[in-house]
Amino acid sequence: MTVNNTIAHQRLILTGDRERFKDLLMRRLIECGWRDQVRMLCREAVKENEGGNVNFDTLVSRVTPRARALVPDTVKKELLQKIKTHLLTPKD
Amino acid sequence: MNDNGCIHLNNFKAAKGTHPYKIVHAFFVSCTSYEARKYKATSCLCFTCGKTGPRMHSCLHCIFFGCYSGHIQDHSKTKKHFLYVDLGFGNIFCAQCQDYIYDRELTDIAVTYKLKQAKSLGLNVPYTPWLPNNNEAMALRRLRKRRLISPHTTIGLRGLQNLGSTCFMNCIVQALIHTPLLRDYFLAEKHKCKAQSSGKCLVCEVSKLFQEFYSGAKTPLTLHRLLHLIWTHARHLAGYEQQDAHEFFIATLDVLHRHCMNGVEDIEKKENGRCNCIIDQIFTGGLQSDVVCTSCSGVSTTIDPFWDISLDVAGPGSLQACLERFTRAEHLGSAAKIKCSNCRAYRESTKQLTLETLPIVASFHLKRFEHSSQIDRKISAFISFPAELDMTPFMSSHRRAVDMAGADNNNAPQGIFEDNRYSLFAVVNHLGSLDAGHYTAYVRQMKGSWFKCDDHMITRASLREVLDSEGYLLFYHKTVLEYECDVS
Ligand SMILES: [Zn+2]
Ligand SMILES: [Zn+2]
Ligand SMILES: [Zn+2]
Ligand SMILES: [Zn+2]
Ligand SMILES: [Zn+2]
Ligand SMILES: [Zn+2]
Repeated sequence: MTVNNTIAHQRLILTGDRERFKDLLMRRLIECGWRDQVRMLCREAVKENEGGNVNFDTLVSRVTPRARALVPDTVKKELLQKIKTHLLTPKD
Repeated sequence: MNDNGCIHLNNFKAAKGTHPYKIVHAFFVSCTSYEARKYKATSCLCFTCGKTGPRMHSCLHCIFFGCYSGHIQDHSKTKKHFLYVDLGFGNIFCAQCQDYIYDRELTDIAVTYKLKQAKSLGLNVPYTPWLPNNNEAMALRRLRKRRLISPHTTIGLRGLQNLGSTCFMNCIVQALIHTPLLRDYFLAEKHKCKAQSSGKCLVCEVSKLFQEFYSGAKTPLTLHRLLHLIWTHARHLAGYEQQDAHEFFIATLDVLHRHCMNGVEDIEKKENGRCNCIIDQIFTGGLQSDVVCTSCSGVSTTIDPFWDISLDVAGPGSLQACLERFTRAEHLGSAAKIKCSNCRAYRESTKQLTLETLPIVASFHLKRFEHSSQIDRKISAFISFPAELDMTPFMSSHRRAVDMAGADNNNAPQGIFEDNRYSLFAVVNHLGSLDAGHYTAYVRQMKGSWFKCDDHMITRASLREVLDSEGYLLFYHKTVLEYECDVS
């Protein structure tokens, strides 16, 4: 991480905008049904592993690749565009 | 899975209490203050590798941040500090159980701090789904009869008999019955009647109507009683001849609002003194009018409540164009001078209407009927309207930002986190001519599932068909609901 990146990252946290973007992303993922889809994936993964002990780490390693692929392009695009606009807006 | 934690966490809590978790959560997970955000921004780096992730954790036993790619685990092993907190979500990992564990007491703390954070950032409270308490869970278990809602269900759809030219009423009732938030209110039996005799309460009648619609029965309903009640409260609508559906819509909202007002329902007036009844909660928005004096540039602003927006249809070909024109600054000529309080004289001025607050349901009335002393006529021009509508460009705040930044900058930065998207859920159509016409309605029963209501006949319809129709009244529902923060 370069110095510039660190400063941008720190500024996002300091102003609370990082939380705001996180909140926006969360809303979009809920709206488009992504969260429900991932919930179903988790359920399947637990079922497949019947008897065996499923912990968080195995669940993450099994579900993450498919969950990532399920994020709609429209959501990615919107977030990217909004974060870009936000970072490029001069602050006083 | 349970939420009683694990033996290791319980031992830790017995020795140290919840204080360590509270500190970590308030400063590095939720950041309940600016001070906390300052700490998080500067010090949340892995003590071993100096990076900001992946998945930063904080030790619960000492001051140590470590990433989840091995460094927090190393610390845990060498120091025998077995509990650590995920800084992204606030969950607790127990290295002895080798998994995240849930503890009701700590979960409650996390929820409170999340709300505090939302408040300190001016965010809306995230929606939390309803969970039954013990009593409700028991009542549900006792209830034997259950109905499974499948994707192809026709629940909530019922035709309405025409009682002789009462289609103007039927189409409005269909639109109201399929207003999502109004349906939720009535099906949850939120109306607690305090009227002397409930037979006279219109709100009770509407409540019964919702039960009828969602009972699962399919035969068409007759609205004798409702019609009678509305007639006794809005005498100008009495009689069996054809009436204007828009007029009926406004009169119905007014009668319902008055029934809520007459001490029938507990009304907490909001700070602004506006009525807080269910009708006003759902349908009322604020229209801002700015009158600018051309001599001194003094602005006088007034805000008036509205239930719907009536739009001129001569000229523009789309709903957005109608709204664009509705919110455009208009020069009031020399014939319409207004007294300026600054100049203390009558001056020419410009007037601009914008939307100060948006209602949950935005109702648009396309003025297709022209009544003047010379001529009564209907304008049948096609006006397109979208299934999804963003109201941001017509908001007062947006217009202000655009004016200040110059006309070419439409990316007002403060608008990034605002959500003013609306989805179409009902359309009322008028077919035929002014004096020999017929009303029908399209309603969205579920997402992507549209039906045409033609009195007693209900038929499936496509979205294309809806959007191609000659709309008269258009009903949009806010796409995402927001919840107000309620923590101190
Ligand atoms: Zn430690
Ligand atoms: Zn590290
Ligand atoms: Zn444990
Ligand atoms: Zn009542
Ligand atoms: Zn009211
Ligand atoms: Zn003036």
